Amino acid sequence: MTPEMVWVGLQPLSADLVLTAGLLSVLTADVLMPPGAKRVLGWGALATLITAFVALIVLEPTGWSFGRSYHGDAFATFVKAVFYIGGALAVLAGLESSESRWPRRQGEYHLLILASTLGMSLLAGAKDVITLVVAFELMGVPLYVLAAWSRDDRRGTEGALKLLLSGGVSTAAILYGLGTLSGLASSTQLELMANHATMMPTPFAAIAAAIALAGVGFKLGVVPFHFWVPDTYEGSPSPAVVFLAVGPKIAGLVALVQVLLAGDDGLRLASWAPLVALATLSMLAGNLLALNQSNAKRLLAFSGVAHVGLMLLALAMGTQDAIASLLFYTVAYLFTNAGVFLVVHALGGDGSIASFDGLARRNAGLGMMMLVFLLSLGGIPFAVGFWAKLYLFLVAWGEGLGWFVVLAALVSVLGLFYYLRIARAMFMNPPADPTPVKVDTSTAIAIAVCVFGVVGVGLYPGPLVAAAEVAARAIVP
Amino acid sequence: MRRPLSPGLADDMLEQWAPALVFLAMCFAAPISMLIGAAVLRVRARTVTPARLDSYECGEEVDGSAWIRFHPRYYIVALVFVLFDVEAAFLFPWAVSLEGAGWIALVDMFVFLGILLLGWAYAVKKEAIKWQ
Amino acid sequence: MTLPLTLSVAAILFALGVFGALTRRNAIGVLMSIELMANAVNINLVAFAHYTNGVAGQTFALFAMALTVVEVAVALAIVVLLYRTRRDIQIDLASEMQR
Repeated sequence: MTPEMVWVGLQPLSADLVLTAGLLSVLTADVLMPPGAKRVLGWGALATLITAFVALIVLEPTGWSFGRSYHGDAFATFVKAVFYIGGALAVLAGLESSESRWPRRQGEYHLLILASTLGMSLLAGAKDVITLVVAFELMGVPLYVLAAWSRDDRRGTEGALKLLLSGGVSTAAILYGLGTLSGLASSTQLELMANHATMMPTPFAAIAAAIALAGVGFKLGVVPFHFWVPDTYEGSPSPAVVFLAVGPKIAGLVALVQVLLAGDDGLRLASWAPLVALATLSMLAGNLLALNQSNAKRLLAFSGVAHVGLMLLALAMGTQDAIASLLFYTVAYLFTNAGVFLVVHALGGDGSIASFDGLARRNAGLGMMMLVFLLSLGGIPFAVGFWAKLYLFLVAWGEGLGWFVVLAALVSVLGLFYYLRIARAMFMNPPADPTPVKVDTSTAIAIAVCVFGVVGVGLYPGPLVAAAEVAARAIVP
Repeated sequence: MRRPLSPGLADDMLEQWAPALVFLAMCFAAPISMLIGAAVLRVRARTVTPARLDSYECGEEVDGSAWIRFHPRYYIVALVFVLFDVEAAFLFPWAVSLEGAGWIALVDMFVFLGILLLGWAYAVKKEAIKWQ
Repeated sequence: MTLPLTLSVAAILFALGVFGALTRRNAIGVLMSIELMANAVNINLVAFAHYTNGVAGQTFALFAMALTVVEVAVALAIVVLLYRTRRDIQIDLASEMQR
């Protein structure tokens, strides 16, 4: 094997290699540096993510790596871009607040965000089951540590414990299910595994697939595996929630895409009924449970469960259009959900809805931006959330899922009600503490990026739809 | 070592496992017969001495409770140990197959070890290995 | 031992692990149950590799082991944290948040 061959084999992974190199540099610097100068590590992490993003756009990594275990294509590029933006937003959120709140541990914070982003990034092109599960764990394990970040806070350790125990069961279930499918097919290639399970549908294979699906369901936090989601969000430090609320959900969906759409469509058709059931349950239960929350973090956690339900429906349909609508939805989800949690972070406090009282008077700009995100979550026209829902509903209607569309539209009205509870607190209620809210510069930049995404894509959705269609074509022939 | 999966395997298997079955039957028979014997003969200890209530440690005098808590430091050292334990699990198959895999496998393993070494350096820096 | 027999052992072990993970109150007990599930995975993988003359299963088992170890290492650290904040590791005590 010559060096040139090695480079050709690594080219599809070029953005991931940038990320790996940056991660290792940040770790080395963290070890060597005196405790006083750790702030530069955050900038290093940000620079790494931006460089990886640029490498992704410029090099357009395509082709196979490591035999047939990794494939770079338009789909991988699209979701990687989403993950890198999500990682960068979380790094920005922690850049200045970590300096003031945990100065000795800020290197670790950025390191864990980078490691988890790397896991997601590898997931984007994984075509081999070993690559898939290793990437999935690389994404998941740093999140346990981030959730336990507030180590002296009782709520923090409780949320971390719940994430950890559900995550551990989920990992074991995924390994058991996928390991069995891989053993039955005598191969670790996802494509061969999927085709074998479809051609020889034994009850054992069906049970294994169901166990693996339940495992991913835990990670996605879909109903009935959602119990940890609100507690973990409430207990985790707010800059980490920006990441926790967005990246792992999209990554879980990407993992499902890799497994279910790997072969000749048989595995997806077989899992149609459970997927639609999970999607419907999540969409309904997420919205209903959000109604009665007094904490904004918990409310938004349940609304996130509902949004994941909608994305799961797109995955269940599995056509080229449906995957394109799923990809469009992930971008909407990224900017909108990262945006709301960034505002919760900027506000400080415990995240209760009462803490939003009079925000419009305490910081008018922050209040307006929160309103934009809330309207996008509710699916009001000319915010990105509206196009995402419209796109998804149109595809679902065409697939004969009219009942789901009607149900989802009705529940969306309900959703608007609880989103506007926060808006009412911001604009109608008098502030309990009239001092202006100060937002640090890096968080302000992150919020501005999200507003730009929500409004920009909301006004010109065309280019993103085109990109999503190209990406979907790469994964569904 | 590997036997083909054939239908005639069952007879063969029964023969091979017959001693194990006999052993298993004896294992069950011994305690059950003793219990039955004790019930029939009405054997019962009449005196209760402190030694009878102690846990049995190979005839030695019992030294403290077995339910002690370990120092939390122990877990941190154990975590660092695990790091290198898993490394060895990957090193062995690599070493066995190195000859056929070429120079790239050598480079790969050194990259792996280098990353692992960074983790170790981090642990040392955080004084995870130092026993206070 | 035949392949179905080995797979049954693994399946029973996995089921025991799931049962333990759902019913145990002690956090360490839950972790041990998760470990049982992970060992069932490895028996499964190695059994398939043995009876089908494949190496892929053995490689997979190696990685599965590493993943479990990583998970348990972080888990133990979090359980120690839990103990430090509440002097106990009964998980039903860790349910102070709103349902």
